[in-house]
Amino acid sequence: MNWMDIVSLLRIALHAMVPITLTAVGEIVGETAGLFNIGLEGILLIGAFAGALGAEVGGPWVGFLVGLGVGAAIGLLFSVMATYWKGTQMVIGIGINLFAMGFVAFGLIQLGAPGFHAVAPAAQLTKWRTPMGAMSPVILLALVAPFVIHWFIKRTRAGLMLKAAGETPEAADVAGINVNRTRLLASTFGGALAGIAGAYMSVAWIGSVTKEISAGRGFIALATVVFSGLNPLLALLGGFIFGFFQGLAEWVKTLPSKPIPFQFVSMLPYIVTLLVVSGAIGRVRFPKALGEPYKRE
Amino acid sequence: MTENPARESRLLRGVHRTVTGLHPALESVVAAIVGLLIGAVLMYIWGFDPWKAYWALLRGAYGGSYEWASSLARGTPLILTALTFSICVRAGMFNIGAEGQMMIGAMAAVCVALFKAPVGLHLVIGLVFAAVAGALWSVVPAILKVSRGVSEVISTIMFNWIGRWLALYLAIYVIVDPMRAEKTLTVPVTARFPILVRGTDLSASIFLAVGVALVMYFLLWHTTLGYEVRAAGLNPTAARYGGIRSKRTMIVSFLLGGVTAGLAGATIAMGLPPSYAIFGGGGLPELTNLGFDGMAVAMVGRNHPIGILVAGVFFGGLNAGGRVMQFYGSNPVPLEMIRVVMGAIVLAMAIPELIRLFPAIKRQGDKLFAALRRGRDPRSKEGSA
Amino acid sequence: MNENAGPEARRGADGYLLRAEGITKIYSDGTVALKKATLEIHSHEIIGLLGENGAGKTTLTKILSGLLPPTHGRVVSPRGPVRFANPREALDFGIGMVHQHFALVGTFTTTENVALSHEKPFSLIRLAKTRERLEALMEESGLRVPLDVPVEKLAVGEQQRVEILKVLSRDVRLLILDEPTSVLTPLEVDELFALLRKLKEKGTSVILITHKLKEVQSITDRIVVLRRGEMVGDVRTAEATTERLAQLMVGKTLEGEPTAFELSAEQLPRALSASRKKEFSGEGILHVVDLVARGNTGEVTVNGVTFDVHGGEIFGIAGVEGNGQSELVECLTGLRVPVSGSATIRGTNILGKDPRQIYRLGVAHVPEDRWRLGLVLPFTLAENAILGVHRWEEFQGPFGILRRGKVYQHVRQLMDRFDIQATGPNAPAKSLSGGNQQKLIVGRELAKDPAIVVASQPTRGLDIGAAKYIRDLLIEMRDNGRAILLVSADLDEVLALADQLAIMYEGRFMTSCRPDTLNREQIGMLMGGVACKEVA
Repeated sequence: MNWMDIVSLLRIALHAMVPITLTAVGEIVGETAGLFNIGLEGILLIGAFAGALGAEVGGPWVGFLVGLGVGAAIGLLFSVMATYWKGTQMVIGIGINLFAMGFVAFGLIQLGAPGFHAVAPAAQLTKWRTPMGAMSPVILLALVAPFVIHWFIKRTRAGLMLKAAGETPEAADVAGINVNRTRLLASTFGGALAGIAGAYMSVAWIGSVTKEISAGRGFIALATVVFSGLNPLLALLGGFIFGFFQGLAEWVKTLPSKPIPFQFVSMLPYIVTLLVVSGAIGRVRFPKALGEPYKRE
Repeated sequence: MTENPARESRLLRGVHRTVTGLHPALESVVAAIVGLLIGAVLMYIWGFDPWKAYWALLRGAYGGSYEWASSLARGTPLILTALTFSICVRAGMFNIGAEGQMMIGAMAAVCVALFKAPVGLHLVIGLVFAAVAGALWSVVPAILKVSRGVSEVISTIMFNWIGRWLALYLAIYVIVDPMRAEKTLTVPVTARFPILVRGTDLSASIFLAVGVALVMYFLLWHTTLGYEVRAAGLNPTAARYGGIRSKRTMIVSFLLGGVTAGLAGATIAMGLPPSYAIFGGGGLPELTNLGFDGMAVAMVGRNHPIGILVAGVFFGGLNAGGRVMQFYGSNPVPLEMIRVVMGAIVLAMAIPELIRLFPAIKRQGDKLFAALRRGRDPRSKEGSA
Repeated sequence: MNENAGPEARRGADGYLLRAEGITKIYSDGTVALKKATLEIHSHEIIGLLGENGAGKTTLTKILSGLLPPTHGRVVSPRGPVRFANPREALDFGIGMVHQHFALVGTFTTTENVALSHEKPFSLIRLAKTRERLEALMEESGLRVPLDVPVEKLAVGEQQRVEILKVLSRDVRLLILDEPTSVLTPLEVDELFALLRKLKEKGTSVILITHKLKEVQSITDRIVVLRRGEMVGDVRTAEATTERLAQLMVGKTLEGEPTAFELSAEQLPRALSASRKKEFSGEGILHVVDLVARGNTGEVTVNGVTFDVHGGEIFGIAGVEGNGQSELVECLTGLRVPVSGSATIRGTNILGKDPRQIYRLGVAHVPEDRWRLGLVLPFTLAENAILGVHRWEEFQGPFGILRRGKVYQHVRQLMDRFDIQATGPNAPAKSLSGGNQQKLIVGRELAKDPAIVVASQPTRGLDIGAAKYIRDLLIEMRDNGRAILLVSADLDEVLALADQLAIMYEGRFMTSCRPDTLNREQIGMLMGGVACKEVA
């Protein structure tokens, strides 16, 4: 492994980190308030698709806005169903995933080519030239967002309200906090971030939309949330680890000597997550009311 | 009710019980209709004719014996993966891991190609392989949950991915067809499910799916083990009071779920013509999403084995009919619409008591019931007088 | 209205802080928790709200603090009627309540918990400022708590101080404390009372909910007694005697006339004290020595209990709920592992065994919480009828197959024998009325042919008929030579049934004697923690 290999590995890792970290950080906000959204995978998919369409209409930034809007809308739908309608969060999430898989595949066919749509170069976000090679500016967002969210949860009263709504909704209620509305806002925000992450994949990173573009990143983000124990800064680290292993897998694939099948490299992040999660239980604690709708007696 | 239990009122109560007993099924039907309607709206927005499309779908799904055969064939693995999900829901847990367990099971089933055995026995060996492999893949998350408190949702999702990569590795490097690198070894004729309807995909694996569903029904509702699983799922504290060990029921339900998921993989490897092999090169296309679609089947089937059989036929029909729909007419609706409909149905199922959102229907029902009662009561008084 | 109204109540309209007028509360399930309660609160006073479980004390204060709306009646301040939509509005008005189950976020520190109910939604948390204010408040009030430790790591007494600080930091004019002393050590109680006196001097009024006679007498200015939703007394503490309070609380007015709520002859079980056995010839069945157990939050709730229950005897444990009865029962039925001590059934140790093993030794358990423990509500009647006995040979055939026929036969017998009204064996348990649910549980347990029945609150929430029926069954079992351990917060029930009576208070038995050796006053005092020798 020479110097150039390390740089390109790092570059791939940073790019792969972005969607996972953004999605995970958004989900951290949602889970802090007590909502467990297993439908992130679907939001990523639809975000990528809608973002690409938006970008082709009005340029990359419009693409991001559309991704944000669609993600927020799905996050809102999720939370309305999960709070006011008392739906089972797991089932809603599964429904969102199925719906998104079908919807994006269907939409891609309507755009012409089944399963694949290249985003017009003009609609793609220009990458910055850096000493490390071409880097997407969105990486900066992924690097900054965890710190902002961390600060938000730790330092603002809104963050306290989120935590209270997820941990002890009864106490939050006594303190005059509208639990359902708090959860609604948190989930909408989380959906918006996942939508941005989706738009990033099509508009600023891969440059195309496929029906498998999310490739399980929504689930990886969920695992990252577990790994992080709801700490956004650790989610940044987790996202980077996943990105790193993804880069490593890509890199091993290109090695002529094939020291280890790349499937095993691809497996590593999940195994690492399982080990970390199994070891971390007891240390890491999730909100007591996570996944439970709140009803006043 | 404290009133005189005359025969008429008993009859009335019987009718009432039947209607309320059908309530869950009714909810599934309402959810299916809501899902189909959402699909229709989307089709309309995208410029398709939804009614034509649904007509084609209906005919493609249940229009004749060929169509029925392919619907049942599509439904077979879904019934099995749906059972995986629903057994664990009955035990109070979310097992998202059918996808990975099913893939590992399929790979284990392919291993029968490595040796020779007589017809029948060869098939059974393959099924045992698949069942054991699925169960092993399933029991680890269960043990992690019982011993370390790891959420089964997270661990089964992780196991899905590890399982998928492991299956890909096995398909590409270990049990690969030496002639054709893109696929696994072909399951030999001695270990295949016989085809039931010539020219279709329908193999005897449908009997396996139905049989397993019936066994699961019997197990859950007619054995003490099933009784314990359901009690622990519905009220863990009461189960503990009743001397039921909930850790045991958790592990048992995951093992059973792994078995059915493994068998689902086997029905593909050993029962899907023409290849009787798994294509590792294309990323396991014939297996991908069977586990996730199974969850939709389980929900519409109300997590009841018999309901799952019906839902399996419905979803199998959607898939089979969708294949016809995508070639029908001048502006055919792509097959992918089917999954949109599935997603919408699951979303509709997620809302508890969706039916409650249709108060008008309920009011009519209540009125009818009240009218029946008014009509009955005076006569019952006459009879007793 | 209220003839017992204290002198302050007549002091004039302008002298009060808050007045509850004719408050009636009917819960959605039809329970009448409060009947036309009227209470006037003045500044500079500590009011003791005294009563048994279910007397309506907590309901009244929840209405005052904005957590519940009254069904009828209103709350009036000198500036007119007030209506609080939620606790925060009540706090803004100056009424703060410390609930029995604390409304604290466990993972938050003290400072964060206080900040939560203070700041504007989109402000930064000024923890430093909150901290400063808290430190000043701690200095002033003498309530010391660690500020930077998650409150769940604090002892219960400390958590209570956090709750009080949270309320005090809002400059309340009325502080309501719901059973505050039940989680405190005697020293902590003294500290709390010192604080309350200090608050009173500064003009804050206090409502203290309690069932402890001694405490209420030592600190309050005025005592309001509630009994089954009705105000039965409003007396100046200086004029109240322990005996009189005990009488008011447990059901005799000063004049000695029986209240409407005492069990009338028809309500009492058919086998009354006449058939009560004087001597216990039955064999010793349950033998408990020095049992010590901790509650869910880690504090010692059963503190060295020793007793024996014989065949043909009803051993009744009375006392206000939360004094360790639940934990004691859980230890004896395998649902809780005790800290120390021993318990045997006919010489076989039962501690630390799981429920299934204990049932095999001949224990039947009627649990206090029907819905959480006793029944799997979505299950059918038939399925519930075999909970705990489902693995018996009678019901389990080869390969673990459930013998449906036998199960139906069994449930039909139960329905006949125990008069369970239901549409059939396949009716879901949740469709049954409370009385029939309880009959199902009692029937199931009695059908085990047990050597001992552990019955915890067996008639709670039942109508008179169902309650009587279940009491009759317990007596029938006793007369058949079984041992019965009856735990009930319903004093009348225990007095009517028990051959041997123990009164539990703070994890200990205050006394263990024949019920007819004590009069009601003495029992009331024992329930309130006043020891026997003091009574005499």
